[in-house]
Amino acid sequence: MKNNKKWFWLAFVVILICMQIGGALGIYIIGREEGVFDYSLLLSMFQGTLGGLILVLLIMFFRKKRKPKLPEFDERSMLLMKRYFLGALYVVFIGSAAIVVTLALLGVETVEVGMLAVYLSILFIAVGMGALVTARL
Amino acid sequence: MAVINHIKEIRQKRGITQIKMAEDLQITRQTVNAIEKNKHNPSLELALKLIAYFDVPIEEMFYLEETKKGE
Repeated sequence: MKNNKKWFWLAFVVILICMQIGGALGIYIIGREEGVFDYSLLLSMFQGTLGGLILVLLIMFFRKKRKPKLPEFDERSMLLMKRYFLGALYVVFIGSAAIVVTLALLGVETVEVGMLAVYLSILFIAVGMGALVTARL
Repeated sequence: MAVINHIKEIRQKRGITQIKMAEDLQITRQTVNAIEKNKHNPSLELALKLIAYFDVPIEEMFYLEETKKGE
């Protein structure tokens, strides 16, 4: 249990550091594109991350209060998730292959990167929603 | 050969609710329900926890469907 808590906080710290790095990288990329490095955004970035952290901790605190000791994830949830992702993998593979074959048969030779981005977004949303539903089963 | 269990009967006999049992064993209420309805076979770890929780012999809690028919 103690070990779990250590990993939990470690994961939190890693996520927060990654968010800060991502924000700084964003400021750098914007600066490179527009020629102005607006480092005052760092403060907003830090405040936003801190606000998000407080919000998440508050939600966790109230959830714990409402349902004292009931876990949200256990061995069955893990098994269901494994099965779901295995199924989703096959659907994505076969579906993508079917789309490529259909496009090839229709005589399409090039695909716009924007269309690929839309396709991937739809894929992420669909798989993510499925995972959320599976976790609640 | 499906694994059948008597968890529901044992739990009800002792007046324990599904939520109380889920809390004590650190599993979700849905898992308790699925196990009781024989829709999910618990892992060996959880099966041993269940035996220790109710303090009953393993054969009283779990048995193979075929074994029961032969009796």
